[in-house]
Amino acid sequence: MFALTVLYDPECGLCRRSHEWLNEQAKLVELNFVPCASEEARKRFPVLDHDVTKQDLTVISPDGAVYFGPKAWLMVLWSLTRYREWSYRLASPELLPTTKRVVSAISQNRYQISRVAGLIG
Amino acid sequence: MNIVVSTYLVYLAISIALTVWVAHTLHKNGRIFLVDVFHGNEALADSVNHLLVVGFYLINMGYVSMALKLGYELNSAQEGIEALSVKIGMVLIVLGGMHFFNLFVFSRMRRRSNYRHNQPPVGPDAFTAVKQEA
Repeated sequence: MFALTVLYDPECGLCRRSHEWLNEQAKLVELNFVPCASEEARKRFPVLDHDVTKQDLTVISPDGAVYFGPKAWLMVLWSLTRYREWSYRLASPELLPTTKRVVSAISQNRYQISRVAGLIG
Repeated sequence: MNIVVSTYLVYLAISIALTVWVAHTLHKNGRIFLVDVFHGNEALADSVNHLLVVGFYLINMGYVSMALKLGYELNSAQEGIEALSVKIGMVLIVLGGMHFFNLFVFSRMRRRSNYRHNQPPVGPDAFTAVKQEA
């Protein structure tokens, strides 16, 4: 079955909270969550640069296509029944630059956001 | 029978005929859209099609009957025809609006259902080897 592997950062509260939220959503494509740079991730993707996956969300399809950062976020949206339409909208040429900027800003500041939102621990 | 009553009767006859004609067109041509939306499930498509047409009839007949009252006297056949043309014009515009709204609903349902087979929104950044789980 076609399922996307999501390499997420288990040390960030925002990512864990998103993970919980994603588990509750109806999906068109299954998502497998694997902590980034973990034993399991290294075993499954032996030639991937796992230091890079610590910097931003990474999504890998069963055929080995790697989506990193904003593209990974769009792939996660695409997997959800309710948000597939949004993934196309946000990936349109008009909106993609803004999407990338916003997503990168959130990713780079995820520890601060988690702290402010009280999602630590 | 005075001019007002005959204007009303002509108005009702034309409005109802128009509503039936538009509903019939929608019913006939909307079906193929719906069959596509529901991936060939014809029973479901027919059911939704029928329900949409019922809603269409209710809204249009409701409008036609609420817009019947003229509210002023008609003194000549000329005034009767003028009043009739305003009333029928409004009915046509409402029918047109409803018709486009229906088309919008159909196309939206179709687009949504097509998403289920669609390609990812973005291309990958790279490719990596995947070790299959044992």
